[in-house]
This record gives sequence, structure tokens and C-alpha cells, in this order.
Amino acid sequence: MELIDYQDDGHFFSGHVACAGCVEALALRVILNTVGSDAMAVVAPSCSAVICGGYPASALKIPVFHTTLESAAASASGVKRGLVAQGKTETTVVALAGDGGTYDIGLQALSSAAERNEDILYICFDNEGYMNTGGQKSSSTPKSAVTGSTPAGKETSKKNMVEILAAHRIPYIATTSPGDLNDMAAKVEKAKAIRGTKVIIVLIPCLAGWGVVDDGAVKTARLAVDSGVFPLLEVFGGHDYVLNKTTKNQPINDYLKQQKRYRHMSVEQIASLQAEVDEQWQRIQKRVEVSSGFEA
Amino acid sequence: MVATDKQQASPLWTTTTSEVRLTGTWREAKPDYHVAPSPCHGACPVQGDIASWIQQVSRSEYYGAWLTLMENNPFPAIAGRICHHPCETACNRQQLDETVGICSLERFVGDMALTQSWALPAIKQDDDCSVAIVGGGPAGLSCAYQLRRRGFKVALYEARDQLGGLMRYGIPSYRLDRAILDAEIERIIDLGIDLHLEVELQDQAALKRLHKEYDAVYLATGASQSKNLPMLDYQQPWVLDSAAFLAAMSHGQNMLLGERILVIGGGSAAIDTARSARRLGKAVTILALEPEHLLPAQTIEVTEALEEGVEFVCGAMMQSTQVKDKGVQLHCVKVDFSAGAERGEFAIDVLTGSEFNLVADTVIPAIGQQVDMDRWAGLLAADQGLAQTDQGWQTSCRGIFAGGDMASMDRFVTHAVGMGKQAAQAISHYLRPHTEVAQVKTEKPVGFEAINSYYYPISKRQKQKQTELETRLDGFSEVQQALSDHGAMIEAGRCFSCGTCTYCDNCFYHCPDMAITKLATSEIDGSPNRAQSGPSRGIGYSIKSDYCKGCGLCVAECPTGSIIMREDTGCSTKQESCS
Amino acid sequence: MTTNNDGTLLSGNHAVAWGVKLARPDVAPLYPITPQTPILEKIIELQDKGLMTVELLTPESEHSAMAAAIAASLTGARVFSATSSQGLLLMHELLHYAAGARAPIVLFNVNRTPASPWGFWPDQLDSLAQRDTGWIQLYSETPQESLDTTIMAFAIAEAANIPVMVNHDAFYVSHAVEAVRIPDQQWVDQFLPPLQLEHKLDTQTGRSFGAPIDQAAWNRSRREMCDAMTKVESLVSQTGQRWGALCGRNYGPLEHYRTAQADVLIVTMGSMCGTVREAVDEMRQQGQSVGLIKVRLFRPLPGAALREALVGVSTVLVLDRNYSPGMGGILHQELKSALFGMEKAPQIHGLLAGVGGVNVAAEHIQRWVSQYAQAEACVDSIWVE
Repeated sequence: MELIDYQDDGHFFSGHVACAGCVEALALRVILNTVGSDAMAVVAPSCSAVICGGYPASALKIPVFHTTLESAAASASGVKRGLVAQGKTETTVVALAGDGGTYDIGLQALSSAAERNEDILYICFDNEGYMNTGGQKSSSTPKSAVTGSTPAGKETSKKNMVEILAAHRIPYIATTSPGDLNDMAAKVEKAKAIRGTKVIIVLIPCLAGWGVVDDGAVKTARLAVDSGVFPLLEVFGGHDYVLNKTTKNQPINDYLKQQKRYRHMSVEQIASLQAEVDEQWQRIQKRVEVSSGFEA
Repeated sequence: MVATDKQQASPLWTTTTSEVRLTGTWREAKPDYHVAPSPCHGACPVQGDIASWIQQVSRSEYYGAWLTLMENNPFPAIAGRICHHPCETACNRQQLDETVGICSLERFVGDMALTQSWALPAIKQDDDCSVAIVGGGPAGLSCAYQLRRRGFKVALYEARDQLGGLMRYGIPSYRLDRAILDAEIERIIDLGIDLHLEVELQDQAALKRLHKEYDAVYLATGASQSKNLPMLDYQQPWVLDSAAFLAAMSHGQNMLLGERILVIGGGSAAIDTARSARRLGKAVTILALEPEHLLPAQTIEVTEALEEGVEFVCGAMMQSTQVKDKGVQLHCVKVDFSAGAERGEFAIDVLTGSEFNLVADTVIPAIGQQVDMDRWAGLLAADQGLAQTDQGWQTSCRGIFAGGDMASMDRFVTHAVGMGKQAAQAISHYLRPHTEVAQVKTEKPVGFEAINSYYYPISKRQKQKQTELETRLDGFSEVQQALSDHGAMIEAGRCFSCGTCTYCDNCFYHCPDMAITKLATSEIDGSPNRAQSGPSRGIGYSIKSDYCKGCGLCVAECPTGSIIMREDTGCSTKQESCS
Repeated sequence: MTTNNDGTLLSGNHAVAWGVKLARPDVAPLYPITPQTPILEKIIELQDKGLMTVELLTPESEHSAMAAAIAASLTGARVFSATSSQGLLLMHELLHYAAGARAPIVLFNVNRTPASPWGFWPDQLDSLAQRDTGWIQLYSETPQESLDTTIMAFAIAEAANIPVMVNHDAFYVSHAVEAVRIPDQQWVDQFLPPLQLEHKLDTQTGRSFGAPIDQAAWNRSRREMCDAMTKVESLVSQTGQRWGALCGRNYGPLEHYRTAQADVLIVTMGSMCGTVREAVDEMRQQGQSVGLIKVRLFRPLPGAALREALVGVSTVLVLDRNYSPGMGGILHQELKSALFGMEKAPQIHGLLAGVGGVNVAAEHIQRWVSQYAQAEACVDSIWVE
């Protein structure tokens, strides 16, 4: 059995107010302990902002700057530049934002920071919707998912953020999930060592927003990976794709069944979503095939 | 205009950590570490802590694994070869891929102990109480071992000139190498057993003398009478008793006549007989009532017998015999066999018109043994042909205990070993009422649903190598070969460790609330996946009541089913722990 | 660049860039917009020539520029940014954020009409619309003043822990070229020591900024800003005096121009003051007792100083180069409010003069003085030609 192998040095404190069983908190634990003590965080309004904060207490050992929803990447750039100007060039600046703050309102700032190749580690906690405001759709919400603003299921597909970011030719993009904490820690560790803009998208099955049982988010994340809905990827330099888990051995139905947001789906809708996942998988395979095998 | 009181901290910058919030108050249920029995443990006749010693193997703690094994069974090398392994039948892993090769691992450890001459810990203190054990088979030896370990004086009486009972006189050496048998028995005798070989309990008076001379007596004299088939004339020279044949074989004597041997029966004794006969160059046919898939013998035995050229005629019975010029003709008929509710119970319907004949030079019935209880009439009560005992294996005569084949129809070596162990516990309690109460795990075994199989990638069982077919029939050397070190490591790694914490730290790392504390940590870690610079592993955990929100992720992510959620009324704030 | 004994010929925007260079900021997030762009270009040119060292950020928007500015500032870095009109309006959300964070940023805004309709003309509505964001606002009349004020703004911001927005008018100041004295770097270094922030993002302390807070704590944060704002007026005075002691140019919250025994005072801000000076000189020559009160510090409005300045004055003409729809001139409204309860308060006429950048000449001002000096003031601002 593969043991979990990152070191918890107490960089994330108990007493935060994440929902019981929230894997965003779990991901924060892995990420913060991997990022280490010479680091600062910039947090956009999101579940993470609530989890990290709550004056006068902070759940993070490192300093946090809570910024506005659309500004995570810009603020992280500012923190980094401020530190660099003062000679603190080694401090890791990690931006923590949700999918709303990344795919939607924060995309402009992120695109710009990526284009400037700012030396930041940007983490997107992708729970596929505005879950902190009670569960509305974002451009990350997948097709057919029910949210407060898509009561009959979303008609359009999830935005492909990896490809958008890849088009910026930044040194490192990765996807990871709380289903594999070693994978998450390894990717954070790798990103930390790279200069320039690094983006890691973490799939966060939201207990309330997706309708997952309290102890089921880790399992749901695994099924998302195993079914190919959320492939574990790394993209180096925007062109070299690495597929970390190369098998897709579960039908999406096993994944969908974990969640209330897909409960309404007909057999045809499931087939349509499966086709979309298969198509995405094929596309990634092609990307991997033409990659030069370069790894940073 | 001064709008503030400067004594207070500015509300802009945090001043403390979130640990000031006791989010444990949200909780409705709380995880609880518990040690639950694994299905293999429940099925094991010696109640061996299988999950524990396999985990020790996986951590390369071989000596520790051996000591854990030796707690319950002084014959790991023997059991690892010949146990009928109900543990493997119960193994949760078969619901994922294949059952764990528990026997092969037990043999691996048992052999290592012999190769490296590992010693048992010294007996801590001697006890004045003495126990006489009658019968040097697996039950008697197991009881002697367990009582001697507890410090009692033990005298062992064996009618034959060598110890081992059925292990020596019933099981051929190609299944159990005699050197292994001798070594594991010797280790017991070396504990300081007062050994009396070739001393047979002649009559009731002899037993009464022992009863008087010793503080307790354990009878394990086996089931020495062969059951007889009514349609067979046992006086004929071409009829040979299987037990006698196998016992003679153990001394290298061949009692067979002719070249065509017919063995009647479908159990291990029948197969042992058939395969031994094959090794003597005979053409062998087995005639069994049961259809092939229901044969009482282990599947591997049947497979190997087939490989070795034994012919099976299954689902049929003999009705009569006729001596002809060139051998004995057996008139047989096909039957419809249906197993009964209890082991050994069955019903048959003769299929009229399916009659056929077989021809043989020697016919060896091997349909089981029974106990001669008549000799104890008036002293020991009998029940359905066995010695009547209570739950603690005490006979109707106070101070006389019985076990093994004499007291049970579970005619397996490891059952006998288990009975010996249980009897030793009962005798110990009988002699020293305040010192020992038998531990009974009453909890339900951990089911497959409690195991998080994500952590166990599909992995085929490590097969033991077999001696090549061409050389097998040349002699009586062992067919099954031991696992390699690497194979044993992989096989041990396949164990789910159901209900026994392996200190993998998964609960610790999957808690989103950092509400699990490692009670202590260990730098020693034998896991092959262990990174050099990785974290120290816990050796015990506790739940922080102040912060556990009761989400259950630790339970869901426990690979061994060692944590359960219990309703939490919130009254207790004390830390509950497992160590 | 032409230099003689009277100084160097610089446009207002280039003068700002020189002020920035002398203040030695650590970080400058900048985004181009007409008519601010020459500030950006000059800073980049100075950096390119090795005359200054600053972490330059050129993000995709003013919004991100300000977001970066706040974040950089809270690390303890000295931060400068510049913008105008639409850019300032895009920053609006973050102007609140900066002030709430007590980030001592200096932002230079070139006052320009906000769209729609599109225009590129001097009008102060863009910055005045930010008056409730919690920023200190200063208005400059000339390139020299813009340079000096830029440097002083850092001193003020860093002493008060409040961000400062310095404004000058589009084209009239931003692109007007005049001889500007560029102070010695030594003087400026003496005047403006390196920034030492008391609270900042620091891995040693691990303290965090911006965590969600409860009502009482939010209320308290505003009371603290209130306390800080009350000290700004005197801080601006002291800073101006310190600056004056170094280089001979004194600046206060207000500038009094020929106000002695004035019966009529004109109150205005920015480039309009130059035209007013011309008109005042003309009218004084004609024997009229007219003077100018130039409001340099608009937020916080120096109310006490204004009341003091207007004692004994019978008429005040407020010239607003801005229009708040439904209300009128913003300075007019502010001044009326500042004089609330004043005994023998002057008649205050609010004139909407130059809104949208239309030309206001000295003769217009003279005409308005004669027109309104004896008239009874009405509460509403008046559109004037």
C-alpha cells in the first residue's frame, strides 16, 4: 500500500470553519504544508477565504492577504514584486482562488499574470460552481449539472481551463485531486521549485453543492479521475502534456451516482456526457502523443 | 474627534490562530479506533492473529511475526504446508481479486524460524501443578506446548515410538517433510516435557492412575479405528486399510499388492493414499461418492493428484466385488450426491442403469476413522461416538480433558492444534482459577465493505512453486516449494489487515481538521514504498475532541476497517485513543 | 530636456514621473490611459536609462494594477501607480480596499471626463466621485506642484497609513510644459526615509490581513480610519512646511492668494486656480478686494482652516470643474457643509464652471464676481458660461 508521504509541519490549523468532511480544507492542509514556512498566501473570496480567515484568527501559519474576487493573480503578483523589491526573492507566493475567481471573474487577471510569467503558484480550488454563495453555476460547471442557477441542468460544457492556460505557455500547469494526496503534494513540490507562473487546478467535490455524503468527497474525487471526467495532468511550457493516470477504467455513471446534482439525468444525457468525456480523453491522448517528453 | 479606544487591537490584522475555535462542538458522531476480528481470524481453528503477523512480515519483522504465530500454534512450518486454510476461504481479498496466500506466508515464517534456529522466550516461572497428556499428535503436542509455556509440569505419553500422530503416520512426506515435522516437535519437547514414548494407556485403571498422579489429564488419543464399508470384506488380502498403509509408508514399508490400486473415498486420506501409491509406480483410481467439485479434500490436492496421473471416478459408489483371474472386479454405480447441512452429512440417490465395473489388484478404503469409546465406558461419557466434553473440553470426569479427533469430527490437523490450545487454556484455568480466562472475541468480523479497496491495486496471489511433475513421482520429496523472500513480501502486502490497524497514517492525513494526533512516532518503517525523507509514522492515534467535526473521512479512508463512527453525545471531552 | 537656472522644462506628467523617481518606490504597477500615459512612459524611460530601480508591473487593467499595488504595499514596499478617468473608475472597488487595508500607496490621477459620452477633457468628477473611498485627495495646479506633491504624498501616506491620490487636470497641467526645479535626490532621501510599516505581511509574524470580520470589528476599523483622517490636515501642513524648509516651496492644505481684507473669495481646485490668480490680479488692480482660496487638500476637507479663511468675507464663489448630477458642484456642496453653523457665514455661490473641460478665461471670472458679489446666494449650483 502506498503511504502518504508529505510532512505535516502544522502549517494549517484546526478550528477552521470548513464544513465537516470538506476536502478543500484537506487540500489546503496538503498544499500549505508542502509550500512550507517561507511563503505567503493571497486568498480570493471563496470557501478558502472563509476557511482561512475569521478575524481575529487565521487558520494559516503563513501570512495571508485576503483580496477581492477578481484579483487573486494580480494581488499575488503584487506580493511577489513587493517581496522581490525588498530582496526576499525566495519566498513562495501562493494564490488560492475558487473556480469563480479563476474561470470567471478572475480570468483576466490570471491571464495577465500568466502572460507576464509572474513568479507565483496559483491554486484553483475547482468545485465547479459558486458554492460559497449557495451553489450557482460558473463557467466551470459541467454540462447537465444542476445548480441554483441551472435548475434543469447546465446546457453548456465546462470551460477547459487547462488549454486556456496552456495557450499562455507558462512553465507548469497541473490538475490534482484530494483523491490522491501524494499526487497533490508532489505537484505542489514540483511547482514550488519552478520560477514563473504555475497553476494547479484541484478538483473539490463539494458536499453541499454537489450533493455528496459527508465522508464521500475523497471517493468522489477518485471516481472523477478514474472515469476520465477529471484527468490528472501536467503541462510543461504549455505544450508538453503528461497524463499521470493513464487508464480510464470507470464509466462516468459510477461518478455521477455519487452526486445529487446529476440525479435527474436520463440515459441519453449520461451517454452524451460520457461521449464528451471520451472525446476529451482522446484529445489529451493526442496532446500527450505529440509531446516531446520534456519535464521541468 | 477620537473614535477608538487604543487599548484594543486593530481589527485589520489577525492576532491568533483558528485553534481558538473549538469546532468539535459541531460533531454528532465520533470516530473510534477499535481492533475487530478479521474474517480469517474468525475462521482460523487456532484463532491465530493472522492480520497481525502478516503485517509484521510486511514490515520485515520476521521474528516478531513468528512469535505472534507461536502464540497460538507451535507448528507454523507444518500448518503452512498442510493446513486446510479456512482462513483463506474467509479472506476478504477474494472479493477484490484473489484470497491472500496465508498458508504460504505461514510456511515462509515457520521455515525461517527453523533455518535460523529461532528460540522461544524462556519460561518465566515454573508451576508445581502437573498435567499428563496422553497422545503425541497435534492436539496433545499443542496442549503440552501451551501448558509448558505457562510453567506447568507436563508429562507426555505416546503409544508409538515417535511423536506426531497423524502428522507423521497419516500425512506423506511429499506434503510434509519429516525434517520439518521433527524440528517443530523437538522445539516443543525442548521446553522441558517429561516424555514417555511407547507407553500405551492400557485400560481404565491406567487412566485412573494418571488422574491420581497428575493434577489434570488431557486425552488426545485420536480416532484409531477405521470405518468399514459394509459391502467390502476386510478379511480379503486385497483389501488394505488406508491408515495402516500410510503408517507403513511413513516407515518406508510398502504393503501394496499388484499394480492396479483402487482407493475409495474423497478426503485427504484418500488422496494421500492414492498419491503415495503413484509414487510406488502403481496405476491408481479414486472412487468417490462426491462429484469432483464437492470432494472433501483440498482443491490443490486433487489438482496435484490429477497432475500425477491419479484417475478419479467421482459421483459413484461400489456395490459389490467379485474376484476374477486377473484382479478384483468392483461393480459400481453412479449416484446423485447432495451434501447435508452438517459437515460429513450427505444423501445419495443411486442412478439406476448407470452401472459400470472397475478392476483392481488392491482396494484401499479411506472413508474415515472413528473413536473406540467403549474402552472408557463407565469412566468417560460418550456422545455420538466421541468423548463428551463441555465447552472447556472437560470430560464427564472432573480433571480429565479430551480433544483432537477423539472429541471432534473436525478432522483437521489445525483443528486439533486449536483444540489443544483451548484445552490448555481451560486446564490452566482449572488449575489456577484466578490466572486465566479464555479470551473470546465476540465482535463481528470486519466485512469487505469496511475495507477501502482503493488502497489495494489488483494484484494476483503469489503462487508457490511446485516440484516439476517429472521428478515428483520419483520419490517422496515435497511438492510445494516455499515463497521467495520477495514473493512473501508481495504476498504480505496484499493483506487488507482487516480490523487491525497498520499505522499507515491515512486517518491522520485525511483529516481536514487536523483532529487526529499521532500518539508516538516511529522512524522505523519497512514499507518498500517509504520515501527516504518521509514523515515519521504514527504508532497509535487519538482523536482531538476539540476539533473533530465527525465527518467520517478517517473511517472511509481507513484501508483496514479499524475505525468506526459512534454516536457522540458530546458529554465527554477526554481523548480516546488506540495504541 | 532643457535646463536652465530656472529649472527644467517639463510637462506636468513628466514632472510627476520625476517626483516618483526621487521618491524611490519599490513597486509600480502601471496601465496606460490618455492623458496619464506620459507618466508611465517617463517612469519606464527613467528605469530603462538606469536612473531608477523599481519593480514595474504592466498588468492588463487598472483594476489589476491597483490590486497589485495594495498587495505589494502590504509587504512593506513603497508603491506608486497612476491613472485617469475610466481607469480610476475601474479601480473604484480597490480604492475602498486600499484604504481599508491602510496601504500607504500613492496614486497619481490625471483628471479627465468620465464616459459617457467619451471625452478626454479636464474635469474632476473622476476623482471627486472617489471621495468616499477613504483616500486622501490632493489637487495640484502646476507641474512643479505636481512634482513636489508627489513626493510629499508618500510622506503623508506613510505617516497616516492612508493612501493618497494626487490629481492634476488633463492637458492644462498634464501636458503643459514649464520650467520645473527637480530637487536633489539627497534632499528627497532626507525628507523621505525608507518605508517602515508597523503591520505588514511578514513570514516572521505570520499575521494576516483581510480575514472576514464581524460587525463590531468592521465598525471599529472605520473608527480607526476616522481617527487617522482627523490628523491628516495638520500632517499635510507639517509635511508642506518640512518640504518648504528643504527646497523653499511651501505647501499647505489651502493656499491663500491675495486674501488680505478680501470681501470676495474665489474657492477652487486644480488648474482653474491659475486663471483665477490672473482674474484676482486684474480685479485687485481695479480696486476690488478679491482673493483666491486654493483647496489643495480636498479629502479630508480642511473645514476649520476654511472657516477661518472665510471669516469676515461677505461672498464666496466656488468654481466647480465637475458636476454631480442631481446635486451640483461637489466642492460647493462640501464647502456649504464645512461652514455649517458658522456665525456670519458668507454668501456661497456655486458656479459650475468649466465642466467637461470648456475654457474658463479670466474675464469670465471677473464677470461672475461682479454678477454674484452682491447677489443673494441660492442653495443650488449654477451653470455659468
